[in-house]
Amino acid sequence: MWIREKKPVVGVFGFSGCAGDQLAILHMEDDLVDFFTSADIKFFHMAQSHQEVPEVDIALVEGSINTSKQENELKEIREKAKIVVSLGTCACYGGIQYLGENETEFKERMEYVYGKDGKNPEFLDLVGQPQAAEPISKYIKVDIMIPGCPIAPENFVPIYTKLISGLFPQKYPYPVCVECKYKDNDCFLLKGKYCLGPVTAAGCDAICPSLEVSCVGCFGPYEGSNYPSMIEKLKEIGLTEEEIKRKLRMFGGDVLEKNLDGDN
Amino acid sequence: MKTYKMSKEKFPEFVELIKTKGKLYGPVKQKEKYSFEEINDHSDLDFDYQRTVISPKKFLTPPRYNTLRFVKFGQTDVFPDDELQIVLGVHPCDIHAIKILDRLFLGNIKDPYYAKRRENLIIIGHSCLPDENCVCQSTGTDMVEDGFDMFFTELKDYFLVWVGSDKGLSIAIDAGDLLNETISEEEIQEYVRWQQDRSTMFKKEIPSFKYLADIIHLNYDSNVWEQFGEKCLSCGTCSLVCPTCNCFNVNDKISMNAEEGFRERMLDSCTLPHFSMVAGGHDFRPDRTSRLKLYFTHKLKEYIGKYGQPSCVGCGRCIAYCPVDINVISVSEALLEEVCKKVEEC
Repeated sequence: MWIREKKPVVGVFGFSGCAGDQLAILHMEDDLVDFFTSADIKFFHMAQSHQEVPEVDIALVEGSINTSKQENELKEIREKAKIVVSLGTCACYGGIQYLGENETEFKERMEYVYGKDGKNPEFLDLVGQPQAAEPISKYIKVDIMIPGCPIAPENFVPIYTKLISGLFPQKYPYPVCVECKYKDNDCFLLKGKYCLGPVTAAGCDAICPSLEVSCVGCFGPYEGSNYPSMIEKLKEIGLTEEEIKRKLRMFGGDVLEKNLDGDN
Repeated sequence: MKTYKMSKEKFPEFVELIKTKGKLYGPVKQKEKYSFEEINDHSDLDFDYQRTVISPKKFLTPPRYNTLRFVKFGQTDVFPDDELQIVLGVHPCDIHAIKILDRLFLGNIKDPYYAKRRENLIIIGHSCLPDENCVCQSTGTDMVEDGFDMFFTELKDYFLVWVGSDKGLSIAIDAGDLLNETISEEEIQEYVRWQQDRSTMFKKEIPSFKYLADIIHLNYDSNVWEQFGEKCLSCGTCSLVCPTCNCFNVNDKISMNAEEGFRERMLDSCTLPHFSMVAGGHDFRPDRTSRLKLYFTHKLKEYIGKYGQPSCVGCGRCIAYCPVDINVISVSEALLEEVCKKVEEC
């Protein structure tokens, strides 16, 4: 049996995103008291007001990095944390906002929103220079990824509790299809409907396919994905290559960028 | 083995009777698919099915279950409930699959979790007619002589009911008047005709199933495997729907209070990327091709060496459910073609 020497110090940090992953933690109502007592929660962006980055054993980092100030803060967290966990699809892969990663397009959008006179709005001094959205792994070393949009408690808790118990969770990648078959579900792909289950990391308990909704890939890429074969399959169903890539990119972030290298 | 007759009118009453003995499950239609679900009323049952997505293996080796509960300074085994489970409407292929699972889990080393579930499971089989994906005739599992407690063959307006175990016999005795011991000569004739007709209904076969093991052996280095490896999505569907696949992963799940937890078994698949990874991080099968080769070699060749028969029962699930058509037929056809390429006469 394991015996913990002491409660580890944990920080929950949030960058750009909908803050849904922090909210998902606060929504675990049955487990919430245990969450705040089983570890020493020194920092929780959404749940407290003081905002100084402390030294922590485990940093749970949510959101993508969108400004220079965030980049610096993230690097500070890395220096002060023993283990960094990227929490949610934004932190892991860049999230939906990664779709605007293209530099020229990004500049155009900035101008469109904030004007063409080249003057940055004043609040930028507060948040830092804007930059295209990136996963946190672009700037720092990440020890463990817990994707999800938002994270699913049933996936998050066993990984997190191992960490606070001084154990290191073993990664065992499998796609949504596995959980879908656990639920005795039929396969959308065989019915001529699109579904990204075979290229999407599991952890959601196949919640959408179980409710007759195709998987859109919100838990990010599955490590064993076979993209060429998946694209072929979706074409067979009647999607165009462009549609397929758009769907794959939605939550695929930097991983899809690498896998669909050079394609549009 | 004892044989009875039951008129179809009496069947609802029979369902009511067995419901009193334990939790009853049977094939239920849900939109376009069938699955074994809990039965509250006999009208929930739909025997006009070819295959469920998941076989009755879900009652014996469920997708996820706890085997152990641990606390800071101790542990206790978690065994399945003692409740009797009755599965109605199991087809011959799935009964053969359970026989294969029995050999594995109840052999020299008994798996206590499986054993407990098996002990508490009553299998009532039901006859079926093949669809275009049934290949049980090739695998010789289209008929079943044992492995069930009762077996119903559906004929015109009655069932012929086989009793295959003491548990089945005790149900038959309880059923009393619902079952009739007299079976007429005509009814026997009808049964024989039904069997003959059924045997002509199969549309597909697994080519050269009898010497498939040799063909796999001879083609072990063939690039046919590469071609399938290129297509395989590594999604694990084939193993999860296969009625004989039973590999599982074990994971300890600690509760949020970090003071207790459960050891969980979850069904695994040899087609998943880290399946063959060992301590230290070495992966024996990092690529899809070698994993797929393992899947088919184990099922169709290695199993014969160990248990005297392959672990394919021809249920057609891999044929029906693999999204990219990698299945026992497409693989054996491709391998046979390879042999034919080498040998001129074929």
